[in-house]
Amino acid sequence: TAGNNILQLGPCRVSMSMAEIRSGFNSIKANIQARDPIKSLSILSYPHSLHKVKPSERCCITHHLCSFYVAKVFRHCRTEDSYVNRKISSIANSFLSLRRNLQHCHEQNKCMCGQESTEKLKQITVNYEGLNVTSAAIKSLGELGILLDWME
Amino acid sequence: DALLPPPQNISILSTNMKHFLTWSPVIVQGEAVRYSVEFQGEYEREYANESWIPICECSLIAATECNITEDISATVAYKLRVRAEAGAARSEWGTLKGFFNRITTSLTPPLMKVIADGYHLLVELEEMGPAFQFWVLYWKKGQESRMQQKVVKEVSHMIHLDTMEEGLGYCVKAQTYVEAINRSSGFSQTQCVRAQGGTSMWLV
Repeated sequence: TAGNNILQLGPCRVSMSMAEIRSGFNSIKANIQARDPIKSLSILSYPHSLHKVKPSERCCITHHLCSFYVAKVFRHCRTEDSYVNRKISSIANSFLSLRRNLQHCHEQNKCMCGQESTEKLKQITVNYEGLNVTSAAIKSLGELGILLDWME
Repeated sequence: DALLPPPQNISILSTNMKHFLTWSPVIVQGEAVRYSVEFQGEYEREYANESWIPICECSLIAATECNITEDISATVAYKLRVRAEAGAARSEWGTLKGFFNRITTSLTPPLMKVIADGYHLLVELEEMGPAFQFWVLYWKKGQESRMQQKVVKEVSHMIHLDTMEEGLGYCVKAQTYVEAINRSSGFSQTQCVRAQGGTSMWLV
């Protein structure tokens, strides 16, 4: 429906309010990306795009990126703009809900991590830690559209 | 700040994924009392130092109700609070007892209108927002065992269910389904119509 998507990530199947997340992100995307002066770097897409990842590793990467955004990104993105903060809260709580669903798959061994996903996640962490925390968090939030496109 | 009593009887009215926080008015003789509302999601409790987020549409309002639908946009447990202000005086926060999760919203059967347009069985459904799907069941009158189902995701127009046999009666009922919370409403009242070619058009 316009509201929800079923993500089929190998054996793992989770429901996600993609429309709500996208609507929240689209309404603050320009504001967030305007706060990111470093256009030459990418957290998610350097050196390789997420789209190069094998389907079998999608669940692992989705699960770990959910945790990455929940634990490392959203909390460092608070702004002086109340509207932006509300939308970040909306996205963050949706990611928390999604991560819980993915955690069930992980516990049922339906979300295994292979070498490729481990290396990709390591690279994302290196990219993230290459910047100061706030810049890295704002850049990562600005790239959320890349992740949503890939997840969908 | 001189203290006002905090708002009491704080509660949630949630129907069909529309959520409202309500409270009793704080009475101060000769003063206009204003209210401000804040929310806190599970994320804020676990990762953002239990921070609260103001809802600007419900900051310093006179009403004793706030539409929180736009901010309750994840299926997690939320806390809500409201305080009163009058002049320089301000109350402590009054906090909703327990949590609110949109999974508890009450879902009502959809409004539905069934139309026999010649041989065409049509149904018109109420627009309820992007979170809603509709499951429409229809059958030849007296043949409930051979019920058919149509899932409707967009209700912007009239929905064609079937091409009817001349003079036969057909019945329809519908329910809503919200995937975000994986719940359905009860069924609407059954409505029956008859295809043209019968002796008269009737509604049961």
